[in-house]
Amino acid sequence: MTVTTAEPLRLGLLRLTDSAPAIVAHELGYFADEGIEVRLSVEPSWANVADKLAHRALEAAVMLPPLVFAIALGLRGRAEPLVVPYCVSQGGDAIVARTDFAAKIASGPDKARAFVAALRAQPDPTLGVVHDHSTHSLLLRYWLASAGAVAGRDYRLIVTPPAQTVEALESGRILGFCAGAPWGEVARRAGVGETVATSDDVWRSAPEKCLAARRSFAQSRPERLAALMRALYRAAAFCEARDNAPYVASLLARATYLDLDSHAILASLPGGTQAGARPRFFAGAATFPWRSHGLWFLGQMRRWGLVPEETDAAALVASVYRPDLYRSALGGVGAAAPDGDMKIEGAHAEAWTLPAGTGAIPMGPDTFCDGALFDPARA
Amino acid sequence: MVGSPHASSAPSFRFMTPKIALVDARPERARQLLETLAGAGFQNVALATSGPDLVDRLAALKPDIVVMDMALPDRDALEGVRNIAAASAGPIVMFADADDPALVEEAIGAGVISYNLSGVSSRDMKAILASAIALYRRNSKVEAELAAAHGALDERRVIERAKAALMAKHKLTEPQAYRQLRTRAMNESRKIADVAAEIAGDSRKAP
Repeated sequence: MTVTTAEPLRLGLLRLTDSAPAIVAHELGYFADEGIEVRLSVEPSWANVADKLAHRALEAAVMLPPLVFAIALGLRGRAEPLVVPYCVSQGGDAIVARTDFAAKIASGPDKARAFVAALRAQPDPTLGVVHDHSTHSLLLRYWLASAGAVAGRDYRLIVTPPAQTVEALESGRILGFCAGAPWGEVARRAGVGETVATSDDVWRSAPEKCLAARRSFAQSRPERLAALMRALYRAAAFCEARDNAPYVASLLARATYLDLDSHAILASLPGGTQAGARPRFFAGAATFPWRSHGLWFLGQMRRWGLVPEETDAAALVASVYRPDLYRSALGGVGAAAPDGDMKIEGAHAEAWTLPAGTGAIPMGPDTFCDGALFDPARA
Repeated sequence: MVGSPHASSAPSFRFMTPKIALVDARPERARQLLETLAGAGFQNVALATSGPDLVDRLAALKPDIVVMDMALPDRDALEGVRNIAAASAGPIVMFADADDPALVEEAIGAGVISYNLSGVSSRDMKAILASAIALYRRNSKVEAELAAAHGALDERRVIERAKAALMAKHKLTEPQAYRQLRTRAMNESRKIADVAAEIAGDSRKAP
């Protein structure tokens, strides 16, 4: 037994299903196996995580890629250089409508159009997202824009932290929200909301949470960051295995973590009933930090005026997204790593195979709801 | 550290007659230190010169305090300190002529508990040795607690792995998995952590 004398690495996370790999790595001792001591810090909102990263009260966090850019650019509070060397999950967000509002949405193949039609019939329609600079905000805006509705013009967008979404829905402050699992299922169980669309309805294989670390930490303690990534990768494989879902659900349900009914969490784990709103942790190179993802997020942030027009997206993505760190940390453990750092997004309506030096990688479909192609070379 | 003579004896009584090993002093400096120690009431002092078997000789001597004296501690000397600290169950007090902060830090890192400039008075010597013993005891206690805490942490992780393995294999709920662990431990008169380690053994390096 070695007694670690180094300060524990502080890792921030929220009460969400896609915190699972970090919680599993902690509880099953994967961090300890890699020789690092990690202190998990369960935060009430994304703003708290962002502040703690910016003020160096956390070394790393399970993070939203758009918020990483916002912190790096100093768009909210203190600026702090961050790196994204690893991704934590794909998909898993639910667009939830209040039960009475859901009843007014016509059924049919074009869910976005039906949602917008019902939205337009409401006085002062207001929707909640978990943060201004969130994947949820960008996916919801993208989805509604595909049916002609623009935030600020056709509906109001307000911030409701994930754990407050159900209460905000119940109180009538919002008609619906977009939040990560398991909050869609929690709203359903509370009888206040219904999931009408998911990440997959907007962008199949949409990148969701990433691992963000302070750049000064990544530079001064590269071996600790690499150890963190290896432990998370091992935990991601554990979380993706269907047989482990009941254990992962019970673990996440504990009062120190999500503090929710384990059945609500189980629905958003592999094999669960929340189809479409289940995060994917491992397969399809889900843990690889594609620079094309970073460029897409920044492009959408610019589209909605969330970043200054003059932001040099290519330079920012190159300094933040670090597939080189991914390869050097995980190359030794046989992780599948794509050869390139970017790919065209939205080109595959079916499952496909990505050839790679580490062995061909089976990939999932990645189309957008509006059929767009995102070519990072032209971004 | 647990089971060392300091842990179980009354401090005031032990402090009256601690056995001191004086290491590495040159004859002239040794005489001075012996006088200072005697003046402070410490009569039970054995001289030990450094050499390849110093650690063994100290082990045989079982001193309560090791006092080292060197004009200028160098890297080799500090390596010697490290070996003594690893083998001994008492505080190491060092007297030297140099007070370079980096050197002090290295000496402390090597296991010295109290670093002092040479030429202290008998009155100071009494306080230095008393505080060295007190500090050493406190450190030992913290180390023992830390080791116990880490042991408990390791056990908890092994139990988590075993629960996960049982739940996946036999489609159990978490309470059922824990009950199974507990029942097996009781039936076999073993610790839960031991049973858990056996169950988790296969999946320890998985996936």
